[in-house]
Amino acid sequence: MSLFSSLLDKVGITNTTLAQVDDFEKWLLTDMWNKYSDERMSRRIVVENQIRDLKIRLTNGTVNKEYIQEISIPSDLVKEMWMEGFEELGLSVESSDEGKFIIKGKPCKAGDFDVKLCFKTKEWIEGESTSSISIPVAFNPDPRSLWKGIPTDRDTPFFKEDSDKCYVKVEAREHGDPRKDIVVASQRGRSHAQEGRPRDDHFSVCHCDESDWYILSVADGAGSAKYSRKGSQIACETVVSFCKDQLKSNEEFEAKIKAYQEADDKNAAQKVVGDLIYKILGTAAHKAYKAINDFAADKATKTDFAGIKTKDFATTLMLAICKKFEFGWFVASFWVGDGAMCIYNVDKNTFKLLGEPDEGEFSGQTRFLTMPEIFTDATSFYKRLRFSIEDDFTALFLMTDGVSDPMFETDVNLKSIDKWHQFYNTLRAGFPNDQIGGVVLEDDNEETKDQLLNWLDFWSPGNHDDRTIAILY
Amino acid sequence: MRRLPVYLLLDCSGSMYGEPIEAVKNGVQVLVSTLRQDPYALETAYLSIITFDSNAQQVAPLTELSAFQQPNIQANGCTSLGAALTLLAQRVDQEVTKTTPNQKGDWKPLVFIMTDGEPTDDLNKGLVEFKKRKFGMVVACAAGVGANTDTLKKITECVVSLDTADSATIKSFFKWVSASVSAGSMKVEDTGTDVGSLNELPPPPPEVNIVV
Repeated sequence: MSLFSSLLDKVGITNTTLAQVDDFEKWLLTDMWNKYSDERMSRRIVVENQIRDLKIRLTNGTVNKEYIQEISIPSDLVKEMWMEGFEELGLSVESSDEGKFIIKGKPCKAGDFDVKLCFKTKEWIEGESTSSISIPVAFNPDPRSLWKGIPTDRDTPFFKEDSDKCYVKVEAREHGDPRKDIVVASQRGRSHAQEGRPRDDHFSVCHCDESDWYILSVADGAGSAKYSRKGSQIACETVVSFCKDQLKSNEEFEAKIKAYQEADDKNAAQKVVGDLIYKILGTAAHKAYKAINDFAADKATKTDFAGIKTKDFATTLMLAICKKFEFGWFVASFWVGDGAMCIYNVDKNTFKLLGEPDEGEFSGQTRFLTMPEIFTDATSFYKRLRFSIEDDFTALFLMTDGVSDPMFETDVNLKSIDKWHQFYNTLRAGFPNDQIGGVVLEDDNEETKDQLLNWLDFWSPGNHDDRTIAILY
Repeated sequence: MRRLPVYLLLDCSGSMYGEPIEAVKNGVQVLVSTLRQDPYALETAYLSIITFDSNAQQVAPLTELSAFQQPNIQANGCTSLGAALTLLAQRVDQEVTKTTPNQKGDWKPLVFIMTDGEPTDDLNKGLVEFKKRKFGMVVACAAGVGANTDTLKKITECVVSLDTADSATIKSFFKWVSASVSAGSMKVEDTGTDVGSLNELPPPPPEVNIVV
């Protein structure tokens, strides 16, 4: 007799055939097993939902940036837990007995992913399937990897190289003291590189060997003007070539500067020098304006450039001329537009801005050299011209807003010595976290120009304009 | 750094239940993951979500895109658009940095409003607060036939409409919002000026009609 026949017999069910008992046994066990499984399943789902209700969230990470995240799950709910899916994302998971996980590493892929928290419930029995819930996690791409560096098409009208640099080495005269050098670098902004647009900034610098005058100019072509890259170029080249011509041997000017230095009546002497500054720098600026005007007018006659106007070449301009006299450095300047131009002296803890930046926010619109009102309003034109005499200085800086905006942020900061110290330190120290080296301002070292160009590649969120900086040091 | 704040005001009333709300959730998800691929937006754009049903609630505070996490969005209740505008005004006061001589503040916020029905609360009360604040660009979207474009015109000149509130149409609206945020992030960075008019945004797809 089978086990089931005897069990049935016990409760008084007799006369059963073997087939009936077999069938009953199958029916009973299948039914009970299903009920049992269903109950096991629903108890598991209850726990799974409890875990889900914990709403475990993982913070977002960024590719190649150290990620660390700790999560804990109350250990009274489950008896064994592990996580799946992190390995292929470049992360490792450490777990402890108390239901704690530490996820760390550097994410290797960007995107939205689902990882799995797997576990066995407290009641889990060998042979049952384990539970899992998915947890979303997002990894941002490395922002830097998103910037493209598309070279400018060489067939672009008025093409210029995407970056430029220059070092003007002025060696000591025989038995003389070391003389200052000029270093300049100009780098196309990432926002331009992203679309293969050309660099709009320009610079031109020189040292007149005959007369020892230094001439520096930096210009920022307006982003909104179609051919501003040419405007900035014409502006820089015109002013530098004009000044060079004027300063090659200008005894009158130099005599007046000396007279000013020695004068008892500074006001009268100042006017004399001021007039000469006007004659040299003011005329240089006006010539640049004229040159752009003429260039635009001439181009407008060509079919390819029909309708082109001077404002399509809009550009800012910073121009400085300096020379060392026995009594100190004479520095004169002209400035229209934004950016920064400054004489900085680290030892004396001083700085002198060579004018006021024409900023959009608080003093009306940014001005451009190409605006006729720059030259028609005499009072404001005079304000753009400055001169001073300095004992000595650490550096004379001319920079476009691509550098001054991220470094100083506001016009108020441009007037803070602390910010200038900070800037100078950043220039020398570079950006170690970004593997961007500093600039060693060392006499007669041509490599400085490469360091400076490399330094211009610094990362500053939201600041990806063209960057140009000229330093006389 | 000057941030570009982006506020999404999303109608989560009962009528949005089902396909529309799922499409909205999906839309937000796609919006965020698309913008994360854009170097301008990833650096500049900050996103907040305010939902409105019987109440208005900021389900996601103004957060940089890289840290943004999808909030839980559910549909039920009425359409408190007025309360949503009041809350928006309060949050903007709290979260958006103003320009001072010492600090360049944030760019003017972009606002995208999406609703599928008439407001059930006092819209004017919210409008008064809303109009006191400065926004760069406010786009109101009437999703489906239940929404009244005339009502939305009181909020902003830029009103768009969707013929239906089905998932494909809502999806293309969010795609356009995403493209608009991209364009806005690039504009502020490139020109240094705020986004102020509809023609600075990319042209909307065929499903999104500009209401003149």
